[in-house]
Amino acid sequence: MEVDSSPQQPQAKAAQIDSADFVVGVFAGLDRNGITTLCEGLRTLPGSPRIVVLQSDPSGAAAAPNLQAANENSSVSLVPWSVLGLDPTGAPLQSISAACQSLFAATEKMTARACCLIASEMESAAPEWVCRLLQPLLESDCDLVVPYYAPRKLQGLLNSSIVYPLTRCLYGKRIHNPLGPDMGVSRRLAQKLLGTNRNANGGSSQTHPLASLAPVAACENMQICQVHVGARVYPPTDWMNMSSLVAQVLGSIFLELERSAACWQRTRGSVSVPARGEYVYPSEETGTLDVNRMVETFQLGVRDLQEIWGLVLPPATLFELRKLSRLTPEKVHMPDELWARIVYDFALAHRLRTINRDHLLRSMTPLYLAWVVSYARDLETAGAATVEQRIERLALAYETAKPYLISRWRWPDRFNP
Amino acid sequence: MWDQVKQALNQSTTKFLTSLAHLLPGIVALIVALLISFVLAWFLAIMVRRLLTSLHFDEWLNRWGFASVAEWSPMNSPTRLVSRTVACAVILAGFLIGIAAFDAESTSLLVRSVFAYIPNIVGATLVLSIGGVIASFLARSVLIGAVNLNLQYARLLSMGVKWLVVVLSVAMALEHLKIAPGIVDLAFGILFGGIVLTLVLAVGLNSKELVTKSLERDGKEASAENIEEPFRHV
Repeated sequence: MEVDSSPQQPQAKAAQIDSADFVVGVFAGLDRNGITTLCEGLRTLPGSPRIVVLQSDPSGAAAAPNLQAANENSSVSLVPWSVLGLDPTGAPLQSISAACQSLFAATEKMTARACCLIASEMESAAPEWVCRLLQPLLESDCDLVVPYYAPRKLQGLLNSSIVYPLTRCLYGKRIHNPLGPDMGVSRRLAQKLLGTNRNANGGSSQTHPLASLAPVAACENMQICQVHVGARVYPPTDWMNMSSLVAQVLGSIFLELERSAACWQRTRGSVSVPARGEYVYPSEETGTLDVNRMVETFQLGVRDLQEIWGLVLPPATLFELRKLSRLTPEKVHMPDELWARIVYDFALAHRLRTINRDHLLRSMTPLYLAWVVSYARDLETAGAATVEQRIERLALAYETAKPYLISRWRWPDRFNP
Repeated sequence: MWDQVKQALNQSTTKFLTSLAHLLPGIVALIVALLISFVLAWFLAIMVRRLLTSLHFDEWLNRWGFASVAEWSPMNSPTRLVSRTVACAVILAGFLIGIAAFDAESTSLLVRSVFAYIPNIVGATLVLSIGGVIASFLARSVLIGAVNLNLQYARLLSMGVKWLVVVLSVAMALEHLKIAPGIVDLAFGILFGGIVLTLVLAVGLNSKELVTKSLERDGKEASAENIEEPFRHV
């Protein structure tokens, strides 16, 4: 199999390829060796499908050496990928959303069966993990393949605190990483998302494809499966832009929540999603925990953001928060039930546009940090294996509080405890 | 002699009665104009109050950060304030139209100058309203941003920004109204400069400790082992 990697213009190169079985979009910053091992891994897929690998870093494609043909019935073509609408200075979620749109459009154009987005770096760096994302799309009628990263105590906190439990509670599917960012998507699901986005384009409520994948798949009763892929390398925390990150992630989730209200209000409970591959046990983590800064931010928020939170949160919740802020930093602990209700209240305020949406989501940051402090303290002395149990407790708290969300959603003026 | 006195008295009485006779139609016109304007004002006030109540005007004003408007509104209701303002404006307009019925030259000059001033009032009101909205929005943005950056003087910073914008808007509005422009310019300059200086001192003095801590931390990190922060969010 030849890996076609001649350095031609992206448009001319892509124009030569009019069809493929799979399209793989590589958004992660893989170097030459990474691309080579990825292509070799793709070569091992059963049935030797035709795969087009779109790489967002053209320098890697230009420098990749020619690989030897192993099977003349299959080919892996490497194409430089310029993502339309990508702003290099823009936020990460926006960049990945633009990459998704571009990938779906390419999948549609090449009439491929499915596509796969690779946006993460993995600790093990073995190429097989990408193939594991493609295999369910190949072998069964899976529409959405999501990664199941090895859980770590203090990593993926936004996912653990809000994204996973909220998605599980609302859509009834226990998808551990609904925002990916690595995903395998069937053409059917990609078409649905492209159609949804076109409809929303005229209005101001355009949803992000990454945030829409799991909800659309769940609401349309499509096949979803998870794949154990090992431990992901998370980018370091940028404390200066913490609130932007929270606003970005939650904004897209709350928009999707509003769009699919008719679906999640009917859902009750949750079911497991089939998982493939070997479960990777979390490794023990070492490191000092300095939560004082986060506690200070929370206490400052309670002191100075009362008038904003007062427009969003009911008096009972505000009272509990004031009580928490008066405790010594070592004793600050936000109960899961309180946290779930806070998330629901903010989701409702987002829908009602109680205040400017950007202000609303950014003002949630001190509350999120208070939850992180509680979570970190719970797991400080516990083993790595208790991470799953801790998150499960939180998810159950979300499910228990769902009637609260439904009542407030349907009667925002009348039901305000 | 008595005849001359009588004649003089008769002449002045006649003059007085003639002038009164000339004024009477004007007075009647004024009274009629006032009556009509009262009725119109009452009707408009009811319409405006119903419209604003259906739009939940009081709640929206509260959400936009104008809670203080309710404090100096009648019965704590900005809706009533607006409706009464509309009523007063209509009555005032009726009064001005009414007095235009008097002596053609002087009263019509007065009415014309008052009506010519109305666009300035409208412009100034617009500037103040927009300034207020922008001040409130910016104050909230700064407050949230400063709290998230863990700045202890977040509220001071937010109030400073709000008052900067408000002072600017008031100065622009007074310029529109052409009220003592020289004094307003000077007062604005002093006030604005004072607020900016206060903010700079507050930020600078509070940041002194922050900068010192940051330098100490950099020094410690250079000599000690790197302690990597374990939190990863997304």
